This record gives sequence, C-alpha cells and structure tokens, in this order.
Amino acid sequence: MCAYVLMRIFESSPKKYDWGIRIITLGKAENVYDSLASHVKSGQRVLDIGCGTGNMTIRAARRGALVKGIDVNPEMLEIALAKIEKENLSDRVELHEMSVVELDKEESESYDVVTAVLVLSELTTHELDYTLKEVMRILKPGGLFLVADEVVPRNRLKRVINWIIRAPLLLITYLVAQRTSHPIKNLPERLEKAGFIIESIRVSRLENFVEVVARKPMRETE
Amino acid sequence: MSNLRYLVANVLCTLLRFIPIPCRTGVIKIGNPGRDSPVLLTCNYWLTVERVKKAIRGIDCYLLVANSRGINVWCASAGGHLTNHSVISILKTSGIEELVGHRNIILPQLAASGIEAKVIKEKTGWNVIWGPVYAHDIPEFLRNNLKKTPNMREIKFPLRQRLEISVAWAFPISLIIGLILFFVFPKLMIPALVAIWSLSFLTFLAFPLFSRMADRRRKRTPNGQPRFLDTLIYSLFVWGIFILLVSIVEFLTGQLSWIEILRWAAISVILTFVLNMDLMGLTPIYRSEFLKDRLLTIEINQEKCIGCRTCENVCPRNCYRMDEEKNVAVMVEAERCIKCGACIVQCPSDALYFRRPDGEIVPPEVIRKFKLNFIGTRAVRVE
Repeated sequence: MCAYVLMRIFESSPKKYDWGIRIITLGKAENVYDSLASHVKSGQRVLDIGCGTGNMTIRAARRGALVKGIDVNPEMLEIALAKIEKENLSDRVELHEMSVVELDKEESESYDVVTAVLVLSELTTHELDYTLKEVMRILKPGGLFLVADEVVPRNRLKRVINWIIRAPLLLITYLVAQRTSHPIKNLPERLEKAGFIIESIRVSRLENFVEVVARKPMRETE
Repeated sequence: MSNLRYLVANVLCTLLRFIPIPCRTGVIKIGNPGRDSPVLLTCNYWLTVERVKKAIRGIDCYLLVANSRGINVWCASAGGHLTNHSVISILKTSGIEELVGHRNIILPQLAASGIEAKVIKEKTGWNVIWGPVYAHDIPEFLRNNLKKTPNMREIKFPLRQRLEISVAWAFPISLIIGLILFFVFPKLMIPALVAIWSLSFLTFLAFPLFSRMADRRRKRTPNGQPRFLDTLIYSLFVWGIFILLVSIVEFLTGQLSWIEILRWAAISVILTFVLNMDLMGLTPIYRSEFLKDRLLTIEINQEKCIGCRTCENVCPRNCYRMDEEKNVAVMVEAERCIKCGACIVQCPSDALYFRRPDGEIVPPEVIRKFKLNFIGTRAVRVE
C-alpha cells in the first residue's frame, strides 16, 4: 500500500497546483497576481517565467500585452493552454516548454516586462543567478521585472514563528499538491546586485512573502 | 568524515525511504580530474549521491548532481522530476563546460524513462551515454570502454535491498501504530511492534518464493502481470510462518495457549494484509497491481526499427534481443516488461509505442511529454 500512496504522491498533478499555491500563500495569491499585473500596459511585450497554469500570463494578456509564457512542466502548460483558449486570448499568448537556463536564446532588450511569480524559489542558487543575469539582458532599458515569492524573514523571531506556521502547511501541500518550496534569502539584495533598481517592495506582515517591482536602469547616454 | 556522512545518510535514508531528502546540486570533483576525465551525472537524493561517491572513489572524474527534488533517479525520472531541464540546467550552470574538453556525459540507465538523449544533444551539444543501473558497476563500466554487460543493465532485488525495503516499510508504520497504541491501548504496543517488524522481514526474506510462483504464472498470462491470487497465497504463507514462529517461542517460554495464539493471529492478519496489498508495488521488479497502465502493452513497428540497439541498452529487465538476420529488435521476454517506458522514450526512429487495451495506440511523443509509464503522471487516460 505504501508504494501505491507514494506513487500517487509522485504524480505531480497540476490540477492540484493552483490549490496548493493557495494553501502555501494563505489565499494571497490572487491579490498578488492582480497587483503585479497592474504594472503591465497594453501593447507591451511580456515574458512570464514559470507561467504554470497561466495565472499571470492571462492577466497580462487581458491588459492587452503580448505574452510569452515559459514553464518546464508540460502538463501545467496544457492546462494554461485550455484556460487561454477559453478566454479567447490565443492571439496574444504563446507558451513554450522551456526552462530558465534557455533564456540565452532570447534576444537582448526584447521585453518591456518580465514576471516571475513563485518560481525563483524553485530554482537552485546557480539557476537563480543565471536567471537574474539573463533577465537583465533581455529587458529593454527601463523595463520592469515583477517578482513575487516566498522569502526568509529577516527578523529572527518572525523566522521562528514562520517556521512553526509553515511546517504543517508544507506537510499538507506536499501530500496534496506535491509542492515544496525553498524560501529565498536576501531577494532584494540579489536583485540589486544583478543591477536592478527596486521601485517598490511589499512585504507581508510575517516578512515571509515579498512583491517586488524592479526596473532595469535607463542607458546612461540617454 | 566522509565515512561518517555515508553512514548517517544510509541509516537516515533507509528509515525514511519514502520521503525525498535533497542535497546540494552542482559539480563534485572526484580525485584529481583533468580536461579528459569522464563526466557522470546523478540525482540530488542524498543517499544516492553518497553511494555514487563511494562507488567511484579513486577514479578521477566529475560528478554532476542534478536537481531531482531529492528523489532517487528511477522514481524521479519516471515521475517527471528528473527531466531534460534538470540535465540542461546542470550542464549550463555548473561550469562543467569550462572544466572538460569533451562533450560526453554518462547518465544512469534508470534515468532513461525521463531524460531524452536526443533533446540533450540538440539543446546542449552533449552526447548522452547510458551508464549501468547500479553505481557499483561504474568502475568496471569505465574500464570496459563504456560497454555494458547484460548484467549491468538489469534491475535486481537482492537480499540487501529487500532488507532495506522491509526497514523502510516497518519503521514509519511502527512509528504511527506504536504512537496510537501507546495512548489508546498500551498493552498491545509491544506485540504490535514485534508483529510489524517480523512480518516485514519475513515477507521480504522469503520474497524469492513469491517471485518463483509469480514468474511461473506470468509466462501463462499475456500481459505478464502476476495475479492477485499469488499475493493472497503468499501472504497466507507468510502469516502461517509467523504464527508458527510465535507458537514455538511461546512453547519454549511455557506460555503457549489457544487464547495467546488467537490474539497474535488477529494482530498479524491485518498487518499481513496491509503489507501484501501492494507487495509488487514495493519491489523494483514488478509493477504495482493498482496502476491502470499495467494493462498497456509495448509494440515494435519492425519496419521503422533501424537495429540501433538503444532499446536493448536501456531496458532494465533485459526484454530485448536482436534479430541479427533482419537487423531489428525483438521483444523476446515481453512478460518481464514493467512498462518503465525507457525504450519508447529513447527510440530514435519512433518504432516503439504503447497499445491500450481498447486497441488504440499511445504514440511516443505523448509518452515522452507526459511521462506515461508505470509511475509517471497521468494526463493521458489509459483505460
């Protein structure tokens, strides 16, 4: 029986993905998508890294942007595709099974906005550094990098509280949605180190979740 | 220090075998590697990395640890956690491309159900070479000019692994049941724990008996899956042995009575049933009886087959033989197949595919995309 239950667990069903995200973020996910998407303007070229089931991609496309969504999970993309067709956004969205390490195939300075919601925390440290470098390259000068993710709180007390709250949540999400996460340390600093200017940053009360709007600097000659 | 770490990893990961335990990804230098040294890849399950490191100690090479979310190679690649993306990522971000002059990477054979050699070559320029199933065969494989013997290709279920699985099963179950009984019915706690551990060991020690019975039947059933009846007969056998052992112990200690025997029988019958319910699913050499895709069959389109022997090279059950005259692969031991899908995923001419019980074909591109196999995701309906 163990093996059977185990196999079910390994079946990372994307249908449960949205549900899993909702538990992990305690229902904040919807607001996060909406508030980040409000920075996208009509006609802009947007790259949605780790688009998953298309939550961010669809919001950006609804605002009139041309969106490219990439993800490593073909099943998630299948669900995203169905959602996009249902909303009649197919002419403004393209989806690709692609990982962040293939961003080197994208043209330099070709995007107005790059978004990454709950994806940077899934990357290894090497991948994270690589991604930040590549995003910097493919953004147009003045372009925006919109990030929302789980982070490690700075305050030690909050770190402990956070851990106590998260432990059972992680167990449930792991069992139900097979999602684990590795909160990022020093996300704003990492962005600044990669050369981004932080425009605004919203931190949750427990300091365990941030929403960052970062900008690629304009060219100095301009 | 490294011996201690090896020991801790073995103990911890055996007790908690069903839980992913990740370790750091990246490149590990083994010995004193140079620009021509071989490059091997493995998953980031802690125990696997420790065992591979031990197996290749003394050989100058690079070991890449790719992200599989802390799951072992076979489960991760069949379940969609060790994918093309994991391999591409580690090749591009670990710095290995600057360390060696060649572009050959040795992957564990059991990763063949999840990683596509063709895609890796296209996207990174690296050639995939399928290594042996077990890490302890790597030194011989390297000495042998990267040639595998049939023995190196085959998955086995030896005594040591059977003991590991019995501990992996007994430990979490005894933890849960022990804790519950401690509060509810403390008198029963010790007998229950004794029953859990001894039944688990008995079941897996005597497993070759089950194997023989099941293999004989498999030859007669078209789809090669042992029937539920075998499991039932075997669990009754294990249960009988257990009761016999208990009676002997009680007789020797002078406590033998019908009431005692009945009590033990009652405790153990439930446990035996739970343990044997998916006995095959607990082994690497059979498929779970619960999964729908046990009903799929693999077929070869011999007109498409180019005789490249890739299927023979990646099959962990040695199901394929070459028809040298016609230069095509033949599945001579189809009843041994566990449907890991490795041959279908790797076939360069798309000559292999699954056929569903209703006669419909599941094409290779669907199997590759959705990891349709004995453990993988099921975006595609099987029945």
